[in-house]
Amino acid sequence: MQFRFDEEQEFFRSQVRDTVDRLIRPRVREIDEKDEFPRDLWEELGSLGYFGLRHEERWGGMEADTVTSMIFFEELARGSAGFFMSVTVQMLMGTYFIGRFGSDAIKERVLQPAIEGRKITCICFTEDQSGSDLAGCRTTATRDGDDWILTGTKQWITNGPIVDAATVMATTDPSAGLRGLSFFLVEEGMEGFAKGQRFHKLGTKGAPTGELVLDHVRVPADHHLGEETGRGLEYSTDILNQVRVMTGLAACSIADEAMKDAAGFARGRVAFGKPIAKYQLIREKFGRFWVKYEAARTFLYRVAWMIDQGMECRKEAMAAKWLASEMCLEAVDEATRIYAGNGFSMEYDAQRYFRDARFLLSGGGTHEVLVNFLGGQYLRGVT
Amino acid sequence: MNICVLVKQVPDHEAIVRAAPDGSVEVEDRWVTNFFDEIAIEQALRIRDAHDGTLTAVAAGGARQVDALRRALAMGANAALHVSDPALDSGDALVVARALAAAIETLSPDLVLAGRVALDDEMGYVGPAVAHALAIPHVANVVALDVGDSALKADRLVEGGVETVEGPLPALVTATKGLCEPRVPKVMAVMKASRAKIDARDLASFGIEPPSPTMRIDGHEAPPSRPAVEMIQGTPDEQVRRLARILLDAVGGGS
Repeated sequence: MQFRFDEEQEFFRSQVRDTVDRLIRPRVREIDEKDEFPRDLWEELGSLGYFGLRHEERWGGMEADTVTSMIFFEELARGSAGFFMSVTVQMLMGTYFIGRFGSDAIKERVLQPAIEGRKITCICFTEDQSGSDLAGCRTTATRDGDDWILTGTKQWITNGPIVDAATVMATTDPSAGLRGLSFFLVEEGMEGFAKGQRFHKLGTKGAPTGELVLDHVRVPADHHLGEETGRGLEYSTDILNQVRVMTGLAACSIADEAMKDAAGFARGRVAFGKPIAKYQLIREKFGRFWVKYEAARTFLYRVAWMIDQGMECRKEAMAAKWLASEMCLEAVDEATRIYAGNGFSMEYDAQRYFRDARFLLSGGGTHEVLVNFLGGQYLRGVT
Repeated sequence: MNICVLVKQVPDHEAIVRAAPDGSVEVEDRWVTNFFDEIAIEQALRIRDAHDGTLTAVAAGGARQVDALRRALAMGANAALHVSDPALDSGDALVVARALAAAIETLSPDLVLAGRVALDDEMGYVGPAVAHALAIPHVANVVALDVGDSALKADRLVEGGVETVEGPLPALVTATKGLCEPRVPKVMAVMKASRAKIDARDLASFGIEPPSPTMRIDGHEAPPSRPAVEMIQGTPDEQVRRLARILLDAVGGGS
């Protein structure tokens, strides 16, 4: 068994980190405070080719494996969490179905510009009454000749307020539950497609998030993204495994950055005659964090490796995402405690990590849904 | 035009570096390509493109230096040359300079660029020493550079101003902040650079004997820790008196 990154992967990581340090990290506070999408940064990252990491070379992609793309996501999350959200939605979800099932005409019109950072994409699962419960999807797709008519409202759509091309989950057969789900491409300018309210969030600022309204939107047959209708769940499982690993690695990076900041503070902050880093109760926080961080990160990369091997890993992806996110939520809380009163101040970054980390609780599946499912699997003896 | 650029991997500026009790230096395992070397690479790429030339990145030292060479390749250098030899382990800058000069000589460059200083030992020695070993002129601390077919014109920072110099090629130029802004490599180039095969060559392969070290490092010490900060208390009048007392004591003044 070999479990380490090779030299190529290590070099790739160092270069991504340098790019994030140079382009994104100097902008983190500005993005958070203004809560504005940094379009110039988006275009720059696109021009560097990162959006195409997972896609075919033919469309400007790199065809990188899962582990390599996860290294990118992990390093990207060391910058702005909001920008990370927008980028990962584009790279993993907003372009996934287009890249896998889109016609050449669609790829030329949507995928290639998206890879180059000239178009913004999103994916639409969530509605007002359903999120992790995919079977609760009420957006419908009805056949009309060769076309499809889409009707419904999607919510909590990252990149929604600025989107050019949305991949929308809809049911072609409401009575079929999970077996009635399919994905459709909806493009800006189509009649009946509108951007609704924009949501104001606690964290991940700079990633515009909102509502998309589909009022009898007519899309041509090739906008159905899949081999046949009703297989949406199967298709989305493939990408959700990657989304969960990616979310877990974001948790690792947010936690690590928060604790590194806190370590710097603890080394310099003197109380009762010595730096607080010398006190056991403070050291314990770092010790506990490091153990859990290492465990979660190792688990996540194992799942990334499983994806690359073509192994079934739905449960492992859920479990690793849960572990990493819980670790992160504890770490960002501990970081604010180390900062004490300063952790409550907007002048320090501790509060930003604390706010940003909250997205982990629902991104990639709520923890209640995930852990309930995993517990059920364990009790059935199928873990 | 045939151009060489000297590169070095140095600790990340955020890496924790400390003097160990035995006099050695402990460095957190976080390394980056030297800031000034990246400026030199960028300038070399621009000159290469303007003159339809080739650019070879050259580094001397252990396996870590390969990452500096890969960085140069990712930015656009045509080739990389790694000089690796046990003689370089002494950390003697003159040995490193002689090794680099021996390697560069085999390439017969028209122009050699290097960073003004490496941000680890901050000696600023290797660039000029390489020029000396190659017996070519050098211009240090350059903020503007115009290279023709057989001569160069450079603006260099000097105390209180800028000095403009002209000279023949071949020459060696050390780059400093302000010369240009290094590009961020495209991911495709990063991937290609990560897979590039970079052979290590020892000094014997350049036909030279390993130079003897001329310098010995006896140890490293951390700077003395700063005394505790005193927050001056009291009424404004008392604070002024206390501050005046501290300042007078500091300069050895009277009462």
